[in-house]
This record gives sequence, C-alpha cells and structure tokens, in this order.
Amino acid sequence: MGYTLDFGAILSGEHLRWLISGLRLTLELTLSSWVLALVLGVILVLLRSSGIKPAEWFVTAYVEVHQNVPLLVQVLFWYFAVPELLPEAGRIWLNERNSEFLLVMLALSFCFAAYMSEALRSGMRAIPQTQHEAGRALGFGYLRTMQYVVIPQAARLAIPPLINYSLLLFKNTSLAMAIGVHELTTQTRQIENDTFRTFEAFTVSTVLYLMISFVIMAGGALLERRIKREGR
Amino acid sequence: MIFFESVDKFYGSHRCLTRITAHVAKGEVVVICGPSGSGKTTLIRTVNGLEPIRSGRIVVNGQDVHAPKADINRLRREIGFVFQQFNLFPHMTVLDNVSLAPRKLRGLPREQAEEEARALLARVGLAEKANVYPGQLSGGQSQRVAIARALAMSPPVILFDEPTSALDPEMVGEVLAVMRDLAGSGITMVCVTHEMGFAREVADRVWFMDSGVILEDASPEEFFVAPRHPRARRFLADLRHA
Ligand SMILES: Nc1ncnc2c1ncn2[C@@H]1O[C@H](COP(=O)(O)OP(=O)(O)O)[C@@H](O)[C@H]1O
Ligand SMILES: [Mg+2]
Repeated sequence: MGYTLDFGAILSGEHLRWLISGLRLTLELTLSSWVLALVLGVILVLLRSSGIKPAEWFVTAYVEVHQNVPLLVQVLFWYFAVPELLPEAGRIWLNERNSEFLLVMLALSFCFAAYMSEALRSGMRAIPQTQHEAGRALGFGYLRTMQYVVIPQAARLAIPPLINYSLLLFKNTSLAMAIGVHELTTQTRQIENDTFRTFEAFTVSTVLYLMISFVIMAGGALLERRIKREGR
Repeated sequence: MIFFESVDKFYGSHRCLTRITAHVAKGEVVVICGPSGSGKTTLIRTVNGLEPIRSGRIVVNGQDVHAPKADINRLRREIGFVFQQFNLFPHMTVLDNVSLAPRKLRGLPREQAEEEARALLARVGLAEKANVYPGQLSGGQSQRVAIARALAMSPPVILFDEPTSALDPEMVGEVLAVMRDLAGSGITMVCVTHEMGFAREVADRVWFMDSGVILEDASPEEFFVAPRHPRARRFLADLRHA
C-alpha cells in the first residue's frame, strides 16, 4: 500500500495556476472555434442550396474531406502545412505570434463547420418548399427568405445534432496538445510530470471535462425545452 | 390591372397553359373555376412569378412580371397571395406572421407594424389571436391569418388559390365572409374557387378553365344561367350533384 492520494499538490500554488490557465485556454478554444464553425457552417449550407452547381460540388467535397480525415491529421496539416502555403510575410506574421492557438482554432472550426453544415442541411431539408414560397410571395428575396423563414425553423430541428457536435468540438480541443497549445490536457501532463501525481492529475482534469460537458448538455436541453414550449 | 397576353406554360413537354389572353380590370373580382388539373393554380402562380412562363406577357399594375429585368421581389409586394394550405410561418406568432413583411420590407418600426397588423387581424375577426402560434389555430382561423398577412403590404391585387378547399366544411363560411368583405373594398381579386355561391354573389367575371385554356370568360349571370361551352355545362352539373 505505497500510494496515498494527495490532491493538495495539484490543487494549490503554481499547479493550480497551470490548471486554471489550461482550463481557460480550453474554454477560449472551444468558444472561438464554435462561433467560427457555426458561421462557416451557415455559409456552407447556403452555398450548398444556392443552385450554383460548382458551389454545391465544392461544399460536398469540403464536407467529405473534413468528415473523413482524422481530426488530428487536420490539426497537424494546419500547423505544419498551411504556413508553408503562405507567402513570406504571412509566415513571419504567424511566427511572431503564438500561432498554435490560431491554427488549431482554424482546424477545429473548418472541421466542425462541415459537421454543422450537415446538421443544418438536414434541418433545412425538413422545411417544406411551401414555406420558402410563402416567403417569396411576400416579396422577400432568396436570402431574406432563408433568414426569416427557413433558417430559424431549420435551426430548431438542427439543435439536437448541433449540441452533439458542440460537445464533440469541446472534447476535441484536447488535440491541441499535439502542437503544444497549453490547454487543459497539456497542462495536466505538465503537472503530472512535475508532481508524479498521475492519478490525481488526470482525475482532476477528467472531472473538469465532465463538468463542462454537463454544462453544455444542460444548456442544450434547456434550449430545446424552451423552443418546444414556443409552440409549433 | 392584370393583362395576360398569349401566355404559354410548359412542364417539360406537357403544355399546361395555352395562349392565355385575358384581362382583369382594377377593382374587379374574378373567379376562376374548372376541373382539377386544368391549370388554375398554375395560372395564378404565373401572376406573381412563382411559376415562370414559356412565352407571352403578364402585366400587373403596368409592370411586366416576367421581363428579364423585372424586380420580382418589389412586384410581389404589390400582389398578395393566399395559398390553399395557408403556409403560415409556424415559428412566429400570428402577429409576427402579419407584421414581418411591413417591418422588413417597408422598414416600419415594430410598434407601427404591429399596430397595423392588429388592425388587419381585427378585420379578419382574429384580434384576440395575435400572440398565439399558428399551430394552435383551426384551419379557418389559419386561412384568415394568411389573408391578413397577404394584405399587410396593402397590395392593390390579391390572388387566392382555392382558399377554402383544405378546410372542414363548417369553416368555409368564415373565410368566405372575409373574402366577401374584401371584395367590397375595391381591391382587385382573382380567386380560384369552386364556391359557386361566392362566385355568384361577388364575382364580376367568371373564368372557366379546361386543359390549360380559358374556355369561358363571362359574367356570373351568363355563366351560371347559360354557360356556352358544353364542358362548362358538364362542370356545373357535376358540381351540383357532388
Ligand atoms: N410542378 C409541376 N410539374 C409538372 N407538372 C405539373 C406541376 N404542377 C402542375 N402540373 C400539371 O399541370 C397541370 C395543371 O395543374 P394545376 O395548375 O395544379 O391545375 P389545377 O389547379 O387546375 O388543379 C396538371 O396536369 C398538373 O399535373
Ligand atoms: Mg389547384
């Protein structure tokens, strides 16, 4: 019986600060990627239903690529390959900053945009053509009909899958460890290295991940309930 | 107000409207009737450009609807449209359904748009339903809201595609009452309907369509008392026996 649990070593002093800064970065990464993914997802779904053939092909290919290549590969691609594609000035600009955060944020956003656009598209397809016509007959153009009539209804249907993808996005921020972003998982490893308190370190981060997952799920459930109450 | 000039419409190779030439004067109420599949829905949907046409011209309020450079969205604001299936927006309250277009297209501030919308709802007898969602309305109430919505941009023209066919019989009357009221208001109305009582009472002209052609364009007296075309006679006889 050589092992006594000691959470104190982790939940105090410098280590606690590492943990908190990791948690903060994880949340920032989640939030910024989520917003960008949603915006891109909306653009993708609009392109896909625009009736412009090349745009539709592009989106189809985009979705296939991002859903079928491992996310870790996508993260590494953004980190190692994308800067190579940039002109000199862009590379310098990236190197002068801590570009890891930005690049992993883009990787997550571009990948989850694909998933979110699919969730939105299936919601969109469930809205009958007659709703579209009703908007057009009032004098709204294609985009404004989308904005006021189709998307709000499609979004309601898309909320359950969108919540799932949000959760998945949150969990996958841990991949940022692969390129040295000091988010929660990286920080946990560091604390572990520093203290040799492996069990305690991972227990603490597991609890933190779980808590945030529960918050996301509870928020989603609340949102769904509120929308259901709004009639239909 | 509405001119059809030799309008042709095809679905693929199926000819659905054949050389339609007709005219609706300002303030006139025209009822279109005819057997199912004769092209009535298609015809009124060409008036606000929901259906494209192959050839010919449709001029509404002096503007060619199908001209390549026509601003169709602007034109549609001047043409109310009431669908057979209501097509209310289920995610908005009744008040929002009616005030959406004035707010977003005319740029009215919310308060003013809502005030106007409430007045329209009162006109169709549904003032107390303003804050309800469409899912909670009966068919007749839904169609009356749809009429209020179509009137919200104060269009000089309003089109109806079988507004009472999707309703339970006991609700037909309340919708026809609103339409009757509207007919007396000076708005130009084109109604596809098989409600012959309504046609007799308020129509200025009746168009009888069959196989994509307007076979008869007559006053209600002429049409109901002495329809010229044998197919119109058969249609009226079938309606009476139905
Ligand atoms: N979207 C469509 N595609 C192909 N054919 C159609 C379409 N809509 C209507 N039609 C055909 O056009 C004809 C006229 O239809 P419609 O205008 O709906 O008639 P009505 O309203 O008088 O019943 C019918 O033969 C119908 O089958
Ligand atoms: Mg029809």
